[in-house]
Amino acid sequence: MKPVTINFRDKASQTISDEQIQQSLEHVYTGFFKGRLAAASETDNWEALRSKGKAIKDHTIANLDYYLDLLATNVEKAGGKIHFASDAAEARKLIIGLAKNCEVKTVIKSKSMVSEEMGLAEAMNDAGFETVETDLGEYIIQLAEETPYHLIAPAVHKSRTEVAKLLDRSYQPGSEPPDATELTMMAREQLRDVFRRADMSVTGANFAVAESGSIALVTNEGNGRMSTSVPRVHVAVMGMEKIVPSIQDLSTMLRILIRSATGQRISTYVTMVNGPRKQDEEEGPEEFHLVVLNNGRDKLLSDIYMREALNCIRCGACLNACPVYRKVGGHAYGWVYPGPIGALVSPVLTGLKDGKNLPNASSLCGACHDACPVKIDIPRMLLELRWRTAEGEKDPKEKSSSMAERLVWKSWRIGMMGRKRFDLGSRIAGWTLRPFTSNGWISKAPPPVGGWTSSRDFPAVSTRSLKSFVKSMKLGGGK
Amino acid sequence: MTDRQKFISGVSASLGRSVPVAPESIDETAFFESPGDADTRAKEITQDSTSRSDELMESLRISAAKNGWNIHSVSDSENAIGVIQDICDSKGVRSVLTSDHQALNQLNVSAALSLPEGATIRTTDRELHKNSVEDSKEEAFTADLGITGVDYGIAETGTVVIHPKNRVSRLVSLAPPVHIAVIQKGQVLESLDELFAMERHDFLKDDLAGSMNLISGPSKTADIEGTTVTGIHGPLEVHLLILE
Repeated sequence: MKPVTINFRDKASQTISDEQIQQSLEHVYTGFFKGRLAAASETDNWEALRSKGKAIKDHTIANLDYYLDLLATNVEKAGGKIHFASDAAEARKLIIGLAKNCEVKTVIKSKSMVSEEMGLAEAMNDAGFETVETDLGEYIIQLAEETPYHLIAPAVHKSRTEVAKLLDRSYQPGSEPPDATELTMMAREQLRDVFRRADMSVTGANFAVAESGSIALVTNEGNGRMSTSVPRVHVAVMGMEKIVPSIQDLSTMLRILIRSATGQRISTYVTMVNGPRKQDEEEGPEEFHLVVLNNGRDKLLSDIYMREALNCIRCGACLNACPVYRKVGGHAYGWVYPGPIGALVSPVLTGLKDGKNLPNASSLCGACHDACPVKIDIPRMLLELRWRTAEGEKDPKEKSSSMAERLVWKSWRIGMMGRKRFDLGSRIAGWTLRPFTSNGWISKAPPPVGGWTSSRDFPAVSTRSLKSFVKSMKLGGGK
Repeated sequence: MTDRQKFISGVSASLGRSVPVAPESIDETAFFESPGDADTRAKEITQDSTSRSDELMESLRISAAKNGWNIHSVSDSENAIGVIQDICDSKGVRSVLTSDHQALNQLNVSAALSLPEGATIRTTDRELHKNSVEDSKEEAFTADLGITGVDYGIAETGTVVIHPKNRVSRLVSLAPPVHIAVIQKGQVLESLDELFAMERHDFLKDDLAGSMNLISGPSKTADIEGTTVTGIHGPLEVHLLILE
């Protein structure tokens, strides 16, 4: 998927004025956010579990080369094939190549954010393989030719009427749409047909286990199970950070992932795959391929200030907790990953220059940090990115603030560092803004600070310094 | 395709070293736990699930009901068959697939059930029925009812665990519209922790199954306006039959 992070402001404004989407976004709060709180409070050792999850991820990421190598060895040992792709284009080519080799016709896809990074479904359809998204939300999004709105609820912004237009061929626009159950059953019929003839599946991997070469898949719908049962060929794709060292670690990670994602104690299905089917099994894929993707993750890994972002297990809790996401919605962020984690990951992976507005899409309230099952300190890293936006990164081409802006802040800094300079500066500011002031308020400031008054008034800047004001008050007491 | 060595060298470089280095052990992951410790733990878990079987079954009953399992507790095989018969009758079941699990076999379902003329009931067995894999799949997709045993129950989460293998199909618990899982005393573990400890133990003994499914209620989705609907891809209805 091509990043378009530069349009954040426009897209956000569009969503804020769209009443239907604002209503749909309510569910993110009432369903997911409250669900997570309830699940956390009924779990005795919740904080200990989070700490454990963080420790496991910190350790794994700090030794990622070792665990990747071990994973590769053990996938092959279990009878599977491991592949490495350094970017999205390479991964697409590789997976299309697999489909060609295996003479595949129909591909069923489970929900996977990494495959969204690759733009895989579209590329496979273009290459002539019928490729169908099987998660209901993703299926709706595919029919609508859109991109996911939320990490775990891709179609959360779609109303029943819109879904009816996509799923129900007999639906008459303007009439009352079928209810959610009827629509779901229509999708069941349509997708069953695809499952039965599928000869290849592409799934994500919620976790990959280094010691055994296994992957774990979490779904409520059962499409993950279909994908690991029906087709001849199973291809799982994963970002290179999605490893845990031991089988036993799955219990900790599944507990925090699922509770944080939907508030359930467990999803309806968890599937662990250890290579292709055994010879004498009744059914199951003959071939198992695991594709490990870098796609810029090494930039996070080599950056000690940002490395922690690789701990993310894609539960979506930070989105649900974020007052900004809940208003601006998923598409504003312009790439695969929305919300606070997207504001963090997208600029690093796709370029800070275009993505400079994303780190600002936060009030730094810290709700994402509190919600994160592996305690990722998102606000700290958003501040780091803001700093880099202002000061420029190591690479001067990446400098995303203008020369003028940097000059203004430099002079501000100088002005703030001396008593006399401060007094003089504030007096100048007061006089400069005088023509824009009426009745003690500035309602339309001149550029470049005009943005500050676009939605609120600013109190007039006094032409007197605080020091002379206090003196003139002739306060008693003191000394 | 990026070569494995090259890819991993790149990761090492990002970590500021030239080659992967074996990590120092930490307490939080079982990766560093010895096979001996895993063995001891597995023995404890097995003992525990036997000695606390009543208590664990009771807590499974509660958590499974919350997940949308229809719970049936029966005291003998006659009652068990009665429950299955009722489900068949009410659904007009004409084709049943079963798995080869001990708890299920002892009920002798195929002989005890009375189904309408022309109805079929059989245990998935590719070799016996001279089925191709394609035949097996088609059979599962056209069956009205799947009945399986389980390898474990999990009290914490209301889950049953099935390891697919020879004569235990991946699809019998998934493709038919109704699934009945039969569980007996002593099969319930307390938590996910214990399940994965058992799995790791199997793995260290080189006895890890090809795959594992955790099933916790009927297939469900809330992708349309946040309304929960059961039965999107898997069974619309699931029954947990507890043999006391």
